[in-house]
Amino acid sequence: MQQRRDEIVAKKQKLAELKRQRELRHKETQNRQSMSGSPSEILQPTPSREHTRREVDNIINGIIGSSRPGSTGPGSPAGGKGSRPTSEISAGQLSGGTGTPPPYMGATPVGEVERGTQTLSIGPLTTIYETPAEPKPEIITYSKGVQTQEQWTPPKVRSFQSDSDDDESPTAVKTPRASKRLSRRERERDEDIRQRLRKEVEEEVRAAQALGTDPVAPVSTSQPNFPARTLSDEELNAVTSSEDFLDFVERSSKVIERALEQEYDILADYALGRGEGLDDEDDAVGAAAGKKGRRIKEVAQFWDERWSKKRMISDLGISPKFPELVLAAYTKNPSAPHEPDGLVQVWNQHMPERPEYVFHAQSDILTAKFSPFHPNLIIGGAYSGQVLLWDTRAKQAPVQKTPLTKGGHTHPVYSLDIVGTQNANNIISCSTDGVVLGWTVDRLSKPEETLELVSPPPSKTDDIAPTCIAFPQSDPTYFLAGTEEGSIYPCHRYDRAGAKAGVDARVKYTGHAAPVMSLDFHPTRGQIDLGDLVLSASVDWSVKLWKVKPPAASSSTAVTGAAAGGVGGAVVVEPLLDFPREDLVYDVRWSPVKPGVFALVDGAGMLEIWDINVDIEVPVAKTAPGDKKGLGRFMARSLNKVAWEKNEGKRIAVGGMDGVVTVFEVGSELGGAEGVRQEEWSGVKKLVGRLEAGLGAGAGTGERGAGGMVNGNGALR
Amino acid sequence: MAHNAPDETLAHLTRLGQKPGVQSTLILSRETGAIVRTSGLISNSKSANPNSTLPASSENTSDGYSNGRKESGIHSAEDVARMVWTFIKSAGSMVEELDKEDEVKLLRLRTKKCELIIVPDVKYLLVMIHDTPPA
Repeated sequence: MQQRRDEIVAKKQKLAELKRQRELRHKETQNRQSMSGSPSEILQPTPSREHTRREVDNIINGIIGSSRPGSTGPGSPAGGKGSRPTSEISAGQLSGGTGTPPPYMGATPVGEVERGTQTLSIGPLTTIYETPAEPKPEIITYSKGVQTQEQWTPPKVRSFQSDSDDDESPTAVKTPRASKRLSRRERERDEDIRQRLRKEVEEEVRAAQALGTDPVAPVSTSQPNFPARTLSDEELNAVTSSEDFLDFVERSSKVIERALEQEYDILADYALGRGEGLDDEDDAVGAAAGKKGRRIKEVAQFWDERWSKKRMISDLGISPKFPELVLAAYTKNPSAPHEPDGLVQVWNQHMPERPEYVFHAQSDILTAKFSPFHPNLIIGGAYSGQVLLWDTRAKQAPVQKTPLTKGGHTHPVYSLDIVGTQNANNIISCSTDGVVLGWTVDRLSKPEETLELVSPPPSKTDDIAPTCIAFPQSDPTYFLAGTEEGSIYPCHRYDRAGAKAGVDARVKYTGHAAPVMSLDFHPTRGQIDLGDLVLSASVDWSVKLWKVKPPAASSSTAVTGAAAGGVGGAVVVEPLLDFPREDLVYDVRWSPVKPGVFALVDGAGMLEIWDINVDIEVPVAKTAPGDKKGLGRFMARSLNKVAWEKNEGKRIAVGGMDGVVTVFEVGSELGGAEGVRQEEWSGVKKLVGRLEAGLGAGAGTGERGAGGMVNGNGALR
Repeated sequence: MAHNAPDETLAHLTRLGQKPGVQSTLILSRETGAIVRTSGLISNSKSANPNSTLPASSENTSDGYSNGRKESGIHSAEDVARMVWTFIKSAGSMVEELDKEDEVKLLRLRTKKCELIIVPDVKYLLVMIHDTPPA
């Protein structure tokens, strides 16, 4: 303690000395001021300050040095300064701003500092604006130094450094709290200045507004703040035609529309008991409406007076990232030659009145889908042969399109897909002349790979007209192509053991007698791999189920059992199961969650849900879109496309000739990720096994026999 | 999409104003509070620019949708604009005091009789007044 007191005494002496020196210097500056005027006050010659600072540092170091001889040494002041250039700058700013700090010494009340600055005009004070952020870190370092004053030397160096920054080191040395208070006051002072500035600006604004508000002065008198200024015609025009304004209207009206559409009333008071709100369970339509779990409920219909009119839906998709977004591609409106031919609308299930996004193309869009790897991107295939890429963040025109020259497609692109993984994926597009091209999403100017599908040898011509392609989940190098003539060919993107790139001549899936409209591989999501099951829909009024030979082992020896017989070397595979329908079947899709469930749409405008675990002869549920708009009466009601929502598997979008997109929700037995039982998977597996056995036994008798066998089994269960 | 023709974008607004239950819409300049567009509101000021009201608003006021509004007393567009503007200003300052980096994105004000939906943006704000759904 004694030692400490000594220290303090010594310190006080040094401070007194310092004070004297400063006073001297102050006088000096005052003299100089009287000679050269006030500007020199701010532009104080740095050498002198540098000098005093070094003095101060020396003194301080002396103090420390005496009390702690064993310390690692505070280092030379110059070196320390070099290491913290920022503090030096702040010191300069501070002293420059406050003007003449020297008279304020240890004993001086801090309030004086404040008063001193307040007398200054605002002009020179603007430099302080840069400081408010700086005192805070300074405080932190300093208080650290105080806490560890007894034990630690290096922080002390730092803390004293910060003292010298203040140029009021004596105050700081004496009581650290003083410096804290100082900085708080500094902050207050800054705040004060800011407020004053703000007030001034506000006054200015008010003055400016007062000029404009003259015409409606009576209104604005009650609320002086509100300038109910009336815009002139020109101003109004300028505003309403500005990009900003239109953009705003576009966005904000969407928000309001969604808000209006929000059906649930969060203020609902159930205690009031109005007696409504009971779920209308029995409004389900269709044949299988009896069972609640199998009902299909229409939840939304999308139609736009301006854009959907006289267009047909050519493709549908539901965003994998935002399940409420439904994409619909349209063909051209023959009665509006000035509108873009191709159209893609993205609908929001929470906003049925208008599309969330509208995209255009110069040619009819025949197929479109959300990129599974990038939620903002939409790819589409056009009648002109272009593959187009739209971005929901960009405008209506496609951000990228493929060339129409020889490098790209020259025939309509009816089918495309994105295959690969998140970081390595390709767009594979297929046109009706049999050309399959691979593109990277980043660059559509040139195809990455080119493949020409040609009909395998026994046929008379080389021509092959693929109408649809489908990739299995597991293998992006292998795909099936359904053709106009009704056959389905397996194709390889690359050469592989035993097969060249292109159509695999060894296997051919025959069964359809008319163009194949749709192919869909089973989504492998469950415990049992059913990825080799394929559904095909055709305009020959049927849907067929196939078991695809694994691409690697598709040599003729492996399939002899199941095949009915080869023609010219090609093994002809017959369908496992045939689902004859009463109309053209345009599209068929597996449920993404239920192993035995699929949906199909037909030319009669019916949506049918099948579950091969339950029945293979009749659909478990069947419905048609409601005629909400009252425009379908005279129009063809045929449905072209069906799409499942991929994550939950609860919603289905359908669309067709009349351009109306209808979204249905299926009951818990037909969709929903939860509640998929293990038996359903094994049931499908068993069924496939039985069918295969039946096919092997009854080869030649055709599907009747196979169907009969299955029926027998179905009856047993 | 910003590429839309102005008419088309404004048609959205018109349609919005004609939806069942919607009493009125109003677009103000965020900065000055000047009325850019209204529908379903009557302007009492002589100096008001008639062009700022949507074409649909005249027939809109005469049909059934506006009945509810008449019961609750006719507000002039200027009054509503002023009240909303000051309201959004105070809401904005409240949010700013809570968190300096925050800002108001949407205001839904439900009263016994109607609901105001206010969408503030950098430059403009859109106000829509509609009947509270009966519940």
